[in-house]
Amino acid sequence: MAQPLIKKDDDRDDEEYSPFLGIEKGAVLQEARVFNDPQLDPKRCSQVITKLLYLLNQGDNFTKVEATEVFFSVTKLFQSKEIGLRRMVYLIIKELSPSADEVIIVTSSLMKDMTSKTDMYRANAIRVLCRITDGTLLTQIERYLKQAIVDKNPVVASAALVSGIHLLQTNPEIVKRWSNEVQEAVQSRAALVQFHALALLHQIRQNDRLAVSKLVTSLTRGTVRSPLAQCLLIRYTSQVIRESSNNTQTGDRPFYDYLESCLRHKAEMVIFEAARAITELSGVTNRELTPAITVLQLFLSSSKPVLRFAAVRTLNKVAMTHPMAVTNCNIDMESLISDQNRSIATLAITTLLKTGNESSVDRLMKQITNFMSDIADEFKIVVVEAIRSLCLKFPLKYRSLMNFLSNILREEGGFEYKKAIVDSIVILIRDIPEAKESGLFHLCEFIEDCEFTYLSTQILHFLGNEGPKTSDPSKYIRYIYNRVILENATVRAGAVSTLAKFGALVDSLKPRIYVLLRRCLFDCDDEVRDRATLYLNMLVGDGSVSETDKDVKDFLFGSLDIPLINLETSLKNYVPSEETFDIDSVPKEVKSQPLAEKKAPGKKQSGLGAPPSAPASAFDAYEKILSSIPEFSSFGKLFKSSAPVELTEAETEYSVNVVKHVYDGHVVFQYNCTNTIPEQLLENVIVQVDCSEAEDFSEIASKPLRSLPYDSPGQTFVAFEKPEGAILGKFGNTLRFIVKEVDPSTGEAEDDGVEDEYQLEELEVVAADYILKVGVSNFRNAWESMGANCERVDEYGLGQRESLAEAVSAVINILGMQPCEGTEVVPSNSRSHTCLLSGVFMGNVKVLVRLSFGVEGPKQVAMKLAVRSEDQAVSDAIHEIVSSG
Amino acid sequence: MGLWEAFLNWLRSLFFKQEMELSLIGLQNAGKTSLVNVVATGGYSEDMIPTVGFNMRKVTKGNVTIKLWDLGGQPRFRSMWERYCRAVSAIVYVVDAADRENLSISKSELHDLLNKPSLSGIPLLVLGNKIDKPEALSKQALTDQMELKSITDREVCCFMISCKNSTNIDSVIDWLVKHSKSKN
Repeated sequence: MAQPLIKKDDDRDDEEYSPFLGIEKGAVLQEARVFNDPQLDPKRCSQVITKLLYLLNQGDNFTKVEATEVFFSVTKLFQSKEIGLRRMVYLIIKELSPSADEVIIVTSSLMKDMTSKTDMYRANAIRVLCRITDGTLLTQIERYLKQAIVDKNPVVASAALVSGIHLLQTNPEIVKRWSNEVQEAVQSRAALVQFHALALLHQIRQNDRLAVSKLVTSLTRGTVRSPLAQCLLIRYTSQVIRESSNNTQTGDRPFYDYLESCLRHKAEMVIFEAARAITELSGVTNRELTPAITVLQLFLSSSKPVLRFAAVRTLNKVAMTHPMAVTNCNIDMESLISDQNRSIATLAITTLLKTGNESSVDRLMKQITNFMSDIADEFKIVVVEAIRSLCLKFPLKYRSLMNFLSNILREEGGFEYKKAIVDSIVILIRDIPEAKESGLFHLCEFIEDCEFTYLSTQILHFLGNEGPKTSDPSKYIRYIYNRVILENATVRAGAVSTLAKFGALVDSLKPRIYVLLRRCLFDCDDEVRDRATLYLNMLVGDGSVSETDKDVKDFLFGSLDIPLINLETSLKNYVPSEETFDIDSVPKEVKSQPLAEKKAPGKKQSGLGAPPSAPASAFDAYEKILSSIPEFSSFGKLFKSSAPVELTEAETEYSVNVVKHVYDGHVVFQYNCTNTIPEQLLENVIVQVDCSEAEDFSEIASKPLRSLPYDSPGQTFVAFEKPEGAILGKFGNTLRFIVKEVDPSTGEAEDDGVEDEYQLEELEVVAADYILKVGVSNFRNAWESMGANCERVDEYGLGQRESLAEAVSAVINILGMQPCEGTEVVPSNSRSHTCLLSGVFMGNVKVLVRLSFGVEGPKQVAMKLAVRSEDQAVSDAIHEIVSSG
Repeated sequence: MGLWEAFLNWLRSLFFKQEMELSLIGLQNAGKTSLVNVVATGGYSEDMIPTVGFNMRKVTKGNVTIKLWDLGGQPRFRSMWERYCRAVSAIVYVVDAADRENLSISKSELHDLLNKPSLSGIPLLVLGNKIDKPEALSKQALTDQMELKSITDREVCCFMISCKNSTNIDSVIDWLVKHSKSKN
């Protein structure tokens, strides 16, 4: 509905005065009694409704009784024919949105208004009616809605079209019948009608790619006049381009000409939309980019802040992938650094940082320094991140960038901002060896006066790992021990651990560290005391706590290879149980997405002590199901359950997916079946498996599903015996069952059934089924501590690939291992990439993989695969997987 | 009506304008909306759709403006009748006199409604509709079966009408006009 009428008190126009000043729910509800007056005062009623709407929009909650009371008195206002009041009535009905059994009372009045001669009544009644309607009523009023879509009044037509967009969610089959009318409305001369009609038409067809493509093809020939509709069309066009780009390998990009012609449109929003669409084309070439960049450059010097912002934001994104294309705009952007709008200025400077060359860095840094104090924390974070990536790009410039970071670290700022700075410094220290000493020094200085416990402990931990390896470790001790004296218990405990690390690695410092640790024995916090005692015994000790020097280092520096969340769950289960806690029983797999059905490892005993609550994960659920089936109970411990693999197309009669459960000497396939035909009942459902291409596997048991009624999923299982080790195979599947007709009215099945079968897709047991995804927190440490004993390195050509990213994700998928440190993401213009993976191979053997990809020639991808594991056979197995995959 | 008389009527309507508010209720298909149409325009149509919710009509008869709340009679609306009967000048309850099967339901709905404290004392006009049909009840039979005699806390009146043939509509209007209250 159009903007609400806000009545102003005319007498007080000269004052700054809100008509809603100090209004309060109770009083307004009292006032609402005027709705029941026999002699209505339309103006007064409108004012009261305005106040009610104000309250509702301010988040005031009306109780059910209050809302009902107001709603029924509002319905009495239908007696007034005053247009302004009627409009308020429509608004408040929508806003109160009373329950369905109450709101129906206004249906008849709205239907009358919908066919009224007053355009305003028609338009708004349609909107309210569609909001409150249900399917049965909708069929009654459908005729009027269709008429309204082609109504000559644009307000009415838009109302009907927008209602159609909303109704498409709930009653798609009805709205789809309006296509002809909507198509007519697309040709409307009214801008808004054209816009809404196009949006609805696209939504109706959105699931039909061909139809969308046809729509775009016909409309891009130039019948769309409304700028808003044109913007929509540009979006739909880019969608079509995205979807079709897979098919056309060579030649001109379809519709590019259209996008380019939109750059010359007279409406700025269309120009911008087209320019943005071009910059977002996948694999856009410089030649395609140039015209878009040119118009964006013009926008940079526009007088309208919104255009400057839009342009610089888009260029900022382009600069991430095509920095060279943006350099032409650098002069314009440098003038934007002093823009009054700080958002524009921040985006401008971060864009410049991305496109700048080594020589301009110093000048830019000076400009940023002037301007940092004026901007809000969230923009500062953007700048810090830009500087971090700049520093990684130009390692030689680390000195000035590190100085900048340390300067801003000293200034005032919130936690997120400080965290971004500290993270950046840590990354620089890690990646630029020369920056290590000065970076550590800056961090030390920071913790001398740091109000954030989290950051202090993080820095202390980092310092413990890096500090001892520097040329003069002793100079850090003072900063660390100051923490023990000055800080809270959490930081003190962190500092004690850090001291211990120095003590373990630097022999010359040992005696002095002992002294410091002994002082900590009398700390008032027990965690600090415990740590000090433990470390002292370990470092000084007689070998009772740890055997060798190596053990000490493992204990101090080794990372916990168990995800903390799993540890927490296991400990929670342990608390009420009788069994002793065993850290080896904690699952090691990272739970990536809690919502999706996921794979999880199997080391958890479904013990007696475990509380009978809901299973903690899909894995637990699987294990519970499997252990309840006597035939499978002898298989031992479940190693891994795969993610469900679909064996049918979507929307077929029977939908089946399979989960592969892997044991040491067995494999169980769990087929999850759903019957999507209401008129059928399936009985004795079993999957017949053809293992002719999996000779090592032999079927030993199967568990049919007795009955599979409509829409209630059921499972059937087939179990195989296999030799130990990672044996692969391919399986053909046929679903066999007895089908019985069901009378849909009574739901009773006939007595006689017919045997039938249904072909499913093939299923493969792949190498990934034998590897658990287990992440490590610090890959480099893990890699080095694994040692090169069982390392195997080889090179492979991967042939022609769509892109580097595609090649990387393909290899990750084949191996089924956990990518570490975010290395699965490939920057889109890079020619080479290193990806780190970790996992646990069957038999509980840790595996680490380092993949180096490179592009040579036209899309030829080569890969160097380095594997380290605890067992040479496993390293070889990984290579075998890759060479065969 | 002579010209002079019309002029007098007009004058009277200027100075003695009266207003009343009525609620029209009863089971579905009793003829409520038809009655409104007959009163308002004199037209009658066989082909009616059920009222979903309510219709609001204003009718002017002589110097009286009547606001009519014509409410839907389907079960889902019956609980809401009371809200539209509060503070009206009179409740008009329409009964299908030819539909003997539903008469007891009609009776209990009426008595349930009248038991609401918010409606005490509001005059009630019961209209037995569809007397053009041969199987229609007599006025006496309707009064008995609706147990109208048991209602003692308010003025109760009963007419037998036919919207189809416009039988007795005039006396209904006369009764209503008599019960209108002067404005101010």
